[in-house]
Amino acid sequence: MIRTILILWLAWQTASPEAIQHLEAGRQAESERHFDVALAEFRKVTELDPAFPAGFVSLGQACMEQRDYGAAVAPLKHALELDPNLAAAHRLLGYALLAQGYAAEAIPHLARVQEQSALGIAEIETGQFSEAIANLQAALQKRPNDPDLLYYLGRASGLLSKQSIDALLAANPDSPRAHQAMAENYFVLRRMPEAENEYRQALRLRPDVPEVHLELGQVYAGSSQWAKAEQEFRAQAKLQPGNAETAYRLGTALLEEGKVHEARVELLRADRLMPDMPETLYSLGKAASLEGDAAAAEKAWINLLSIEKQSSLAAQAHFGLAALYRKQGKTAEAQRESQAFESLQNSSNQTQPGK
Amino acid sequence: MLNRVSQTVCASALITSLAAIGGSILEVKPPNGVDFTLQNSPTPQKYLIETMPGGVALLDYNNDGLLDIFLVNGGRIDPMHPENFDRHDPRYWNRLYRQNKDGSFTDVTEQAGLANAGDGNYGMGVAVGDYDNDGYPDLYITNYGKNILYHNNGDGTFTDVTAKAGVAGGGWSVSAGFFDYDNDGKLDLFVTRYMDWDMQHSKDCGGNFHTYCPPGEFPRSTNILYHNRGDGTFEDVSQRSGIAARKGHGLGVAFADYDGDGFTDIYVANDGMQQFLFHNNGNGTFSEVALQAGAALSLDGGPLSGMGVVFQDYDNDGKPDVVVTTLPRQTYAVFHNDGSGLFSDRGLQTGVSMLSGVTSGWGVGLEDFDNDGQKDLFISQGHVLDNVEAIDPSLHYLEPTLLALNRNGRFERVDPGTDALVSGRGAAFGDLNNDGWIDAVTTVLGAHPQFFINRGGNAHWLTITLRGTRSNRDGLGARVQVNGQTRFATTAGSYESANDKRLHFGLGSAKSAQIEVFWPSGTRQVLSNIAADQFLEIREPERP
Repeated sequence: MIRTILILWLAWQTASPEAIQHLEAGRQAESERHFDVALAEFRKVTELDPAFPAGFVSLGQACMEQRDYGAAVAPLKHALELDPNLAAAHRLLGYALLAQGYAAEAIPHLARVQEQSALGIAEIETGQFSEAIANLQAALQKRPNDPDLLYYLGRASGLLSKQSIDALLAANPDSPRAHQAMAENYFVLRRMPEAENEYRQALRLRPDVPEVHLELGQVYAGSSQWAKAEQEFRAQAKLQPGNAETAYRLGTALLEEGKVHEARVELLRADRLMPDMPETLYSLGKAASLEGDAAAAEKAWINLLSIEKQSSLAAQAHFGLAALYRKQGKTAEAQRESQAFESLQNSSNQTQPGK
Repeated sequence: MLNRVSQTVCASALITSLAAIGGSILEVKPPNGVDFTLQNSPTPQKYLIETMPGGVALLDYNNDGLLDIFLVNGGRIDPMHPENFDRHDPRYWNRLYRQNKDGSFTDVTEQAGLANAGDGNYGMGVAVGDYDNDGYPDLYITNYGKNILYHNNGDGTFTDVTAKAGVAGGGWSVSAGFFDYDNDGKLDLFVTRYMDWDMQHSKDCGGNFHTYCPPGEFPRSTNILYHNRGDGTFEDVSQRSGIAARKGHGLGVAFADYDGDGFTDIYVANDGMQQFLFHNNGNGTFSEVALQAGAALSLDGGPLSGMGVVFQDYDNDGKPDVVVTTLPRQTYAVFHNDGSGLFSDRGLQTGVSMLSGVTSGWGVGLEDFDNDGQKDLFISQGHVLDNVEAIDPSLHYLEPTLLALNRNGRFERVDPGTDALVSGRGAAFGDLNNDGWIDAVTTVLGAHPQFFINRGGNAHWLTITLRGTRSNRDGLGARVQVNGQTRFATTAGSYESANDKRLHFGLGSAKSAQIEVFWPSGTRQVLSNIAADQFLEIREPERP
């Protein structure tokens, strides 16, 4: 796109015929990927017509095409001295400076031409995470699912989160939220005793701090301490009876404890609060199956398969259905579900080399 | 027909066990005379064999009525000579300890002819069975290298008959077991093999952490089935029988007739993949049916890191169930035998899922430790990676041993008699001191074995020795029912280990027993009103 704009812009620039001749020769060489020739031609243009900004812009761009961002900076800056309004020069200089690690210097140039993707990246480098998120989200509107943009948006969000948490820990180190934040950090590192301790401290300071019981329950669940997990999920459910995730997690904890009927009650509640969540439907089917309610299990798993067809949960649902039908003596159905399960497993294995 | 070899031990009106009053059933008490150390020789190169030994067997090799102990050693690993293992060095010998009348043990390895397990062999497991029906239990040792069959000469010595018998195998064998798959009265031999791997093609995994690699990093291998010809030789029938049609990462193996067709089936614990259930077709061939039987994968359809396995009836419904021990982030699988050839995973209902999840199980037994008539669960535990804490601080290399009592089909953790954290591996079960209460011996990497001695109680019991006549001499493969409980006669199961061949039954408050034996020959034998608290030998009728 940059190249197209540049060509259009060059069309109405004025320069000596000889300079234009070298400019065209340079462009021709550039299109044939003879970058050394192009560079020599563009350099000739700047020598012949030092007041012709397009020559410097072309020279800068040629340098960038050869990944020589450092060499591109001087001609692009000179072009802007000749014409401070040259959008192409601002854009290219912004990219060149960013590539060289001069993010702060790049930002005004990128902002000038609203180059939001690069601007967002530069703002991450300078610690302006909120601004970076806004710019990257705007860029994603134009290029949805762009992997680079998604990556940088994720990174900016994470860094913003870290910045906020750092501020929290510095300003209020013994607050419930500080302990919660520390606990979450330990949880990610799988340092469960430390995570448990921090959550406990948070609860000691403020017993009703939202989400802490839920997160502490997950610490216990992660170490298979299901009775303790149940206790925490129940506490969370009392605080937030409308929270579907809590109902789901309480249901799965009860299931792990072998309290199948109680698990089913909670999973049904989770399903009512947030219908058609695949995780809930899978566990609901499992609980129903373990309780001997084959019809309910079948219904939950078929419902899940109407929502998800390729995921690991879908594979698990097929596996569950196969067992269900086998027990019912429905050999053909069992065979069909087994095949669907194996097919999903095989495709999953192909995308997961190693173990 | 009926020969009682021991008297009634006790008959108390108060039926209780120490567990019932809050004490520990077992106490960990090393006996005098056992100075064995399991030399696994861990190296920075992380050769995978280092973390996989070793087996233990409880057997009465000299028929003096006292259980003796055989322990398999690993070997020395010198990265400069990685295939040597220095097994001629006494530190790396397997060891046989003979039990003395006072409960102490004497190392008889050398005089028994069991010293020096052959350079080039890194030890793994042991199987016990009287393959020639001479009344003396023989030993089969699995190795990374060549396996060894030791014939028990009956005079306190053994002879290496591997070459003549044709059972050296090769590659990396792990667990083995004797059983009679064709009911011809002669014990056949099954050997699991872990993977196609050798020291030269070893590697480590885990990047900078340098860990042992998961099995998926190496090609799968076939298991071996040897048919006993009855003349001291065996024929490798792995191909013909269909066993070799399935390649896996075989570790544990256990036997039982799960569908009641009179032929013993095979369950193989595979690491990091589906488990195998080889159904005995009764014509010398097997069909692998684990997936369609519902005994291959976790409840959610995930692969299992199967390590050890036991194939016994935990809920007294007369049908053998399967318990498979696994690695963390999975739960130990309890495949309940629902009949009609189908199993269902009852890990959640039995509480076994609650007992696992962050532990690694190896040797496993379903034994009635409190003699209440329900088989309890004992598992030797320890993570496979000796540096797992560096990778995941919530997991631990050294773990406690698990003892869980069976409360009407639900297993509840109790004190196993020690809170020591160990890298447990093999486990064998038997009544070491002949007091009517089951004991256990486990192996520990780089350390001495652990002896879990049952502190006993007042509940009644019955211990049966089978004496086959038309069936194999030890009656392996027989189904024995006592007061509504069922045991399948076997020395195999657990991990790399071999159990006391005697069948132990806790009788609770019952002072007598009704016994039914279904011999591999097809003979059904009933014994009524048998007094409790005795060691009983049951001889198979000579005629049907």
